[in-house]
Amino acid sequence: MSTHNQGTELDLSWISKIQVNHPAVLRRAGQIQARRPVKKEWQAAWLLKAVTFIDLTTLSGDDTSCNVQRLCYKAKYPIREDLLKALNMHDKGITTAAVCVYPARVCDAVKALKAVGCDIPVASVATGFPAGQTHLKTRLEEIRLAVEDGATEIDVVISRTLVLTGQWEALYGEIRQFRKACGEAHLKTILATGELGSLTNVYKASMIAMMAGSDFIKTSTGKETVNATFPVAIVMLRAIRDFFWKTGNKVGFKPAGGIRSAKDSLAWLSLVKEELGDEWLKPELFRIGASTLLSDIERQIYHHVTGRYAAYHDLPMS
Amino acid sequence: MAATRAGPRAREIFTTLEYGPAPESHACALAWLDTQDRLLGHYVNGKWSKPEHRNSVPCQDPITGENLASCLQGQAQDVAAAVEAARTAFESWSKLPGAVRAQHLTRLAKVIQKHQRLLWTLESLVTGRAVREVRDGDVQLAQQLLHYHAVQAHTQEQALAGWEPMGVIGLILPSTFSFLEMMWRICPALAVGCTVVALVPPASPTPLLLAQLAGELGPFPGIINVISGPASLGPVLASQPGVQKVAFCGALEEGRALRRALAGEGAELGLALGAEALLLLSDAADVDSAVEGVVDAAWSDRSPGGLRLLVQESVWEETMRRLQARMARLRSGRGLDGAVDMGARGAAARDLAQRYVREAQSQGAQVFQAGDVPLDSPFYPPTLVSDLPPASPCAQAEVPWPVVVASPFRTAKEALALANGTPRGSSASVWSERLGQALELGYGSVGAAGARREACGLRVDPAVPIGGCKESGSSWHGGPDGLYEYLRPSGTPARLSYLSKNLNYDTFGLAVPSTLPAGPETGPTPAPPYGLFVGGRFQAPGARSSRPIQDAFGNLHGYVAEGGAKDIRGAVEAAHQATSGWAGQSPGARTALLWALAAALERRESTLASRLERQGVELKAAKAEVELSVRRLRTWGAQAEAEGQTLQVAALRGPVLRLREPLGVLAIVCPDERPLLAFVSLLAPALAHGNTVVMVPSGACPLLALEVCQDMATLFPAGLVNVVTGDRDHLTRCLALHQDVQALWYFGSAQGSQFVEWASAGNLKPVWVSRGLPRAWEQEAEGAGPELGLRAARTKALWLPMGD
Repeated sequence: MSTHNQGTELDLSWISKIQVNHPAVLRRAGQIQARRPVKKEWQAAWLLKAVTFIDLTTLSGDDTSCNVQRLCYKAKYPIREDLLKALNMHDKGITTAAVCVYPARVCDAVKALKAVGCDIPVASVATGFPAGQTHLKTRLEEIRLAVEDGATEIDVVISRTLVLTGQWEALYGEIRQFRKACGEAHLKTILATGELGSLTNVYKASMIAMMAGSDFIKTSTGKETVNATFPVAIVMLRAIRDFFWKTGNKVGFKPAGGIRSAKDSLAWLSLVKEELGDEWLKPELFRIGASTLLSDIERQIYHHVTGRYAAYHDLPMS
Repeated sequence: MAATRAGPRAREIFTTLEYGPAPESHACALAWLDTQDRLLGHYVNGKWSKPEHRNSVPCQDPITGENLASCLQGQAQDVAAAVEAARTAFESWSKLPGAVRAQHLTRLAKVIQKHQRLLWTLESLVTGRAVREVRDGDVQLAQQLLHYHAVQAHTQEQALAGWEPMGVIGLILPSTFSFLEMMWRICPALAVGCTVVALVPPASPTPLLLAQLAGELGPFPGIINVISGPASLGPVLASQPGVQKVAFCGALEEGRALRRALAGEGAELGLALGAEALLLLSDAADVDSAVEGVVDAAWSDRSPGGLRLLVQESVWEETMRRLQARMARLRSGRGLDGAVDMGARGAAARDLAQRYVREAQSQGAQVFQAGDVPLDSPFYPPTLVSDLPPASPCAQAEVPWPVVVASPFRTAKEALALANGTPRGSSASVWSERLGQALELGYGSVGAAGARREACGLRVDPAVPIGGCKESGSSWHGGPDGLYEYLRPSGTPARLSYLSKNLNYDTFGLAVPSTLPAGPETGPTPAPPYGLFVGGRFQAPGARSSRPIQDAFGNLHGYVAEGGAKDIRGAVEAAHQATSGWAGQSPGARTALLWALAAALERRESTLASRLERQGVELKAAKAEVELSVRRLRTWGAQAEAEGQTLQVAALRGPVLRLREPLGVLAIVCPDERPLLAFVSLLAPALAHGNTVVMVPSGACPLLALEVCQDMATLFPAGLVNVVTGDRDHLTRCLALHQDVQALWYFGSAQGSQFVEWASAGNLKPVWVSRGLPRAWEQEAEGAGPELGLRAARTKALWLPMGD
């Protein structure tokens, strides 16, 4: 993995003047999906690329070591071998970008990945996921324990309270401490944009999270009523670009929650390509948090290769 | 496993993640052209017409140059046949109840919906525009337009009582246009009961397809007729008997030439000229979103022209950086590819852009070009021109597609000065998140008729009027204003040609006949000559001479000043100085002033009545006339208060303000008859709508107007009303040729009317001429009808998109 975003000193002038025009952002969001259709071979190649961006996720109360193991196996072999062969892509080592689980399941995931000989990172959610309404001390402790268990990426949630009440210094301070608690692990900061109230707040929270040293900023937990949407993504991507222009640091972007169809994933790729450019289209800087997306992508690949639509039982489950 | 369908490139694309082609099949467009044997004629009266012995021009794919079909070039008799069909259709179509017309328009919308793929592939194929824009924009809007106007037709009997359809409408469309330009105009025309003959440039099949779709719909085949032919047929179409109005959209100089050619013809002329748009970006804007607004307006194949971009200096660097980064991501390519932002528009458009950019460069401008653009011929990259010296010729010229000319401004005030500092006046969008500032800019952009705060690109909605002013022409489409373009007050006689072939435009009104003493002066003391009423006081004319005025019995009635070109100049200047003050008055203040004048006239009743008596009016009638004049002032005064501004709701989230704004300096040449009533009937609506005026009173008896001036001198702010007496033809000439008079009403001879129409081509001021016909000033409809109010102001629609 590449080096971390070191962050910067808190500079509130970076967020004080920001304006976000809501109708214009909605309009842009609508355009992205209509203006860049990707077809045929391009579609197949883009979908395979999308697979390599997936943080294959299970975040349920009923997770056990058995389904985590299955998830890890699917992460290693996301697309049926014969389909990859047909596309002449079987030697590309296509896996998902990471697996993402609750802290209590990190050990299971690390073990399972080791068993299948896969060196992709295990990401753990932390800091009172999904609401973040626990004491700072326990939140920090949660990070440390997950790292101890072998998680190399930590998806933390921010305190929405601090955003909604405009306590930007406090937010910066908390994320700084998360950063420190992560040690060598990557810090992915979940903004829970569905609960921030306005796009202007989304921009400000993004900028604070990056200044505090997040390696990724992530849209949602998947547990809010509104999750990853294009308008929110546009604002976050523009913040990432502004941060890059100001500091030279590239921060990654991870939409999560509600991304289910292969078509959606293509739109997400072209969104990042359009707003940030090709250099962001690599797993170090772009992830998609999803659990069911992979099977739809596999079905599309199946159709591309065979010309037929797959039945559910044609493809292995995760 | 089944045989692989995958090609060899997947590996490569996996690494580069490039975009691939996303071609839209145009098989149905070709199949449709095949049904015509690849030979397109005209579509008249529900039938294809392919007369023999016509030249034909090829219709080519602008990108591949492939010949798609040949199109016949119409001739005069084809136009005549089409107008005849439209006239016949008008007889039945205009008599139908609005509800029936509404049904028919709705059915047409359904037909378009059924054949939308054919429509969008054909349009994109022959124009080269991005198919995405045609499919998601134009075709959808075409249906919305039909639906909106169907509703207008349905409510016409109540909402537009007192108005009737004009008759046959001629429509002249330029070679670079979307079929939407035709829809914007035929929908309101058909809704109110007019029928249409459209003259489209050869090699534009989409209007023909639309006409066919409409024609095959059944019982009213002749309501839309399409003739394909060269622009030179425009005057032929306009001069066909029965054509009551010609709507032209296209290039400025073509419109100007048409204005001159149609002086004295029967048809009224509505012009919509030029294609440049304007975008104001303030320091309180969301710059990234505003940049998207620029992309939408200039580089998305939506608008036919280029964009003038004004950026506040404090965000200039930031805006340029973002704009350039965004430009790099634009893709251009074959229009039928679903993944391109911009298509190509053929060699002519490219050459125009190339020429403009080269000239701008030679005049010292910086040029930035970027984007993924094929290198071969018909394409031209998105271009950003900056640092263009304001005095250079390019800065004054219209910006062509796909060029954006950016210049900085320091303050909102300066932005307005720059925005309004061109002869053009089309729509603008203002980007600012501060409501106060945005409204200031929106209200203040005099030129910008469709100013929209924070508008996302240049959006359109059938319910919102769009139009222009100054050299952009002053016709409207959309909303209620679009309907009035095709209506006239009920009972107005049909417009006939009053062309006088031997009128010499160069000499009309040029020389003033010299005035000589008019015989013995009777009465105890000779009356001192009246001066000119300019700038709030009576002044001696520049020529230092007076003209005698006789009464109805041939006796000398008095002397009035002999005004000339210099006096007109002074009067217009005085009027301009009063403009901002008067337009800035509250409606209530305007009402108060008009009512004060009414009261003053009432006090002066006996003088005015005796003056009228000397003009041969019986005392009783004279008193009635004074009374009616007083009433006119009161009525319009009340209207100033009542009209206000209306709020509309459009498809877009957020309200639309429909403002009625003054025209500026309005020149009025009053008729000879009814020296008092006509004078007041014309003055009152002009003032009520916030204009300042320069008036030429009745030639036969200017004394009554000058009597009124006595009161205005004490009541009105200086320069609000200026009255210049003298030789009417000469004064008319001076006013009509004046570039800084914003509108002209002329009531007088046929020759004078023809001259005014001809001369208005200079600054394309809207003119209203009597064509030598008398007007019944004492009747409500003609003397105080809504037509006067409509002509005394222009509409501005202000969009206020909302959201946080």
